[in-house]
Amino acid sequence: MTDLSSGPRQTSEAILTVTDLTQRVDLGRDTLTILQGVSLEIKRGESVAIVGRSGSGKTTLLGLLAGLDTPTEGEVVLEGKAISRLSEDERAALRARRVGFVFQSFQLLPALTALENVMLPLELADFPDPQARARELLGRVGLGDRLTHTPRQLSGGEQQRVAIARAFACEPVILFADEPTGNLDNQTGQEIQELLMALNREQGTTLVMVTHDETLAARCQRRLTIEAGHLEAAREETA
Amino acid sequence: MSASQKLGSVKRDWRQRDVKVVLSALIIAVATVAIIALFASQLQRTLITSASSFLAADRQLEAEHGKPIPAEWREEARNRGLQTARMVEFSTMLSGGERFQLVSIKAVSDEYPLRGKIEFQQDADSDRQLLGQGPRPGEAWLNPRLVRLLEIDVGDTVEVGNLELTVSGLLVREPDGGFNLGGLAPRVMMHADDVDATGVIQEGSRVEYVNLFAGEEAALDGFYQWLQPRLEPSHEWESIRDGEALSESLQRAERFLLLGGSIAVLLASVAVAVASRQFAVGQRDTVALLKTLGLSSRRIGHMYLVRLSVWGLAGMAGGLLVALPVYGFLNNLMARVLEQEIPFTVDLPSLMPALATAVVSLFAFAYPPIRRLRHVPAMRVLRSQPGEADSRAWSDIAIAVVAIFGLVWLYAREVMLVVALIGGLVALLGTLALLGWLLLLALRRVTGGGNAWRLALVGLYRHRRASLSQIAVFAMTLMLASTLILVRSSLLADWQAQLPEQTPNHFLINIAPSTVDEVDAFWREQGQGLDTLYPMVRGRLTEINGQPVRQVVSKDDSVNALNRELNLTWMESLPEDNRIVAGDWFGSDQTEGVSVEAELAAELGVDVGDVLGFTIGSETIAEPITSIRTVQWESMKPNFYMAFPPGGALEGLPATWITSFYLPEDRKDALNEFTREFPTVSLLEVDHIIERIQAIVGQVTQAIEAILALILAASLVVMAAVVSATLQDRQREGALLRTLGGRQSLLVNSTMLEFGLAGLLAGILGVLAAESAVWALQYRMFGGEFRWHWQVALPIPLISGFVLALLGRWQLRPVLQVSPMLLLRRLE
Repeated sequence: MTDLSSGPRQTSEAILTVTDLTQRVDLGRDTLTILQGVSLEIKRGESVAIVGRSGSGKTTLLGLLAGLDTPTEGEVVLEGKAISRLSEDERAALRARRVGFVFQSFQLLPALTALENVMLPLELADFPDPQARARELLGRVGLGDRLTHTPRQLSGGEQQRVAIARAFACEPVILFADEPTGNLDNQTGQEIQELLMALNREQGTTLVMVTHDETLAARCQRRLTIEAGHLEAAREETA
Repeated sequence: MSASQKLGSVKRDWRQRDVKVVLSALIIAVATVAIIALFASQLQRTLITSASSFLAADRQLEAEHGKPIPAEWREEARNRGLQTARMVEFSTMLSGGERFQLVSIKAVSDEYPLRGKIEFQQDADSDRQLLGQGPRPGEAWLNPRLVRLLEIDVGDTVEVGNLELTVSGLLVREPDGGFNLGGLAPRVMMHADDVDATGVIQEGSRVEYVNLFAGEEAALDGFYQWLQPRLEPSHEWESIRDGEALSESLQRAERFLLLGGSIAVLLASVAVAVASRQFAVGQRDTVALLKTLGLSSRRIGHMYLVRLSVWGLAGMAGGLLVALPVYGFLNNLMARVLEQEIPFTVDLPSLMPALATAVVSLFAFAYPPIRRLRHVPAMRVLRSQPGEADSRAWSDIAIAVVAIFGLVWLYAREVMLVVALIGGLVALLGTLALLGWLLLLALRRVTGGGNAWRLALVGLYRHRRASLSQIAVFAMTLMLASTLILVRSSLLADWQAQLPEQTPNHFLINIAPSTVDEVDAFWREQGQGLDTLYPMVRGRLTEINGQPVRQVVSKDDSVNALNRELNLTWMESLPEDNRIVAGDWFGSDQTEGVSVEAELAAELGVDVGDVLGFTIGSETIAEPITSIRTVQWESMKPNFYMAFPPGGALEGLPATWITSFYLPEDRKDALNEFTREFPTVSLLEVDHIIERIQAIVGQVTQAIEAILALILAASLVVMAAVVSATLQDRQREGALLRTLGGRQSLLVNSTMLEFGLAGLLAGILGVLAAESAVWALQYRMFGGEFRWHWQVALPIPLISGFVLALLGRWQLRPVLQVSPMLLLRRLE
């Protein structure tokens, strides 16, 4: 593997470094540029909100940061590894151990119970005694008595709690959240916010979150604004 | 809701995935059943026509003892739209060149043959031709061997009684080969109008008058209804189904087609059932939404009925559009294989089961769940309560079973078949439920991990509802396909066993007791050993337990054996292919008793211990039945209804001997020498008949393979449809697993293992269920003995596991190619 730790922008604290990231989609005759020359750095333990209007490229950026997709140009370095140079399986192994996800639409498997949904990443990462760990986490998010319920039998807020439990299950070093409160009412969104922030603090996880929610964004240490595929450097601010 | 609104909702339906699956299933169902039903009914017609040429007609009426059949009868038949022809058969001396020869004459009218063709040669060196008409008056066609025997040529004249006839050609083969062991010298064919002029036929001559009939089945039946009261005991009405050697093969082939069709109906129901069930369950949210919007449950029900009807009609139309070209293609293919013209006929009765299958399965499986949803409060529909079970699932199953039973019954109308197939399916589902429960107990404690095996097992457990119902469908599909495979292999094996290589193809009849040893010696010298020699005494069965047989057996018309003299024999040991089914075979010193063929015994209603009385010439004898045995009528060996022990009641009665042997084509010249040396022995050449039977069996075999191929293709489609029903869920899961860090290889291996295990399990269950269905069918429908078919049964679970593993791999494709991010969003 190429050693990038000696790169000029690398600091000992940076967990995620992005250089000149560009993403284009080939539409046959035209190419659509979704992201253009995005560079940023996120430090270990930091919480960062990515904000911007719908269609500005937030979610695409998140996917690239998490290694769920590969960029057209540029480089993403996660924990010292240039993920665009990793093979798909190497990226998967990285995700399994180091990365957690929370999605806007929860993405729970409908056939599985709450407990089984949380066990899934633990099993994939060969965690010892996944069931005990999953129980503990579901208890932590307040669903200790709903272990055998399937997503259909849970409310939206409850489903997102299960998803959060799943995201923190493997004790990731970095958590990516895509509009985690987007599908929830204010009250429930508020509760999910609290939960997410609390777990983040407890575990010392780095949090990268795409959101529309101003209050949520405000609770992050830093806010990055994306507009039409560009990172608005001027508005990179620290809370 | 207005008509345009309804139309609008139907249009919107086209775009829904579930609806597309339902429609494809409907189209597949209609197409499969229609193709198989059309093809099977065409095949049946073709086979019957092909087999009818054995009688040279659809029906024959024979009069055995010298009395012509009244011309009015033929007149009546023609009035009923039937074709008729007449022929006269007798034995006489023919003189030609310097020699005399006993010949068997067949004098035919212009219309002969009504079915099949005469194989003819202008002279020994010219090509064979197929002709639709016999010789003209004043001409005769001779068997090629007879021409050599008489040392004459085509163009010479021969004399039959007072009449001189010109030999205008060689008779290679007549369509109605004749199984009758009557007069059997070399064949001469002449015109029926010349018979009187020969002066050969006198009062009391042994002559057989035969009338031939052909036409529509209904007209033939009607004619027989009219004819029956006029028939005398010497008359015999024969249809191709009565012909011994072929009838069983044909009946079995017909039943195979019936079985194939029924299986197609079941497969189609399964396909439609899976798809429409999936659709109905997926309608929860829509129904809830409609209720929230204020629609009454009556209108919701009405709306779905309209939609289902529209799809039903669309499915039928689509299915027929697929079926007709495929059927046309198969028809062409068959015409080429059988080397005969086959018209493209689409008969509506054959289409009915296809249409009924689609509509009945659609409504039986889709409507009940939707109907039930109407009564559930909207809130409960949107969010189901924990532990809430589908309380009415049992009534759904009951409706489904009744519907499917009705469909197969509608198609086959054969109780045993329906019971065997449906019973097999129910047993299969029962076993599966039990097994599923056991598996759940066993797998509950397994947790997944980075190991593909564990992940696969956990997958089976966690998707238990989907897994079990998929396994059930796969197992049912495999059971149906395996049933057909198993029946096919045992049918083919039976047929091959029936007429093996070197089947005896010549009979020697009327061997005088004094020449038996010489005849035996002659053939031994030729290097062609004879089969067992049997004595033969001709006699009639006249009494049962002292009562005249006509009084005891009231339906005597149906017992052919009572209408003619029987060939009685004595034998020491039971022929190899006979089986004793009641009583015991004769002991070594036993001289009493008679052994009766099983079917005849059943027809006569007699059993071991009953006493049979026979009239033989002027003698009468009476013997108790000591055993009942089955006989292989199709074996082309001498077979007897009645067998006595050596030294028994037949001893001392005038007997002649009969035997059969195999003579290869290139040794036929030996026959000439034999006839010259033993002029009184009748020789029956059945080699051409055997060739034809083998050819027809070959055709039937090909037809069966074609049906089997169609069914296998349909099964594959059903299985692919089932897999695609959960495609979206599986892909979402795959994408999520990748997001959560599952390696591609882990995903691929565990999915292939999970599907492969499901396939293996389904295969084992399916084959076991198929074996039990075949066990039930074998007795009733195919009359064979049941055997386990390990060599056929073993590969099926392996193949099914393999195919499903591949299907599982195939559905993962997009998960592996597209980034998980994109896929998750696309599937949202």
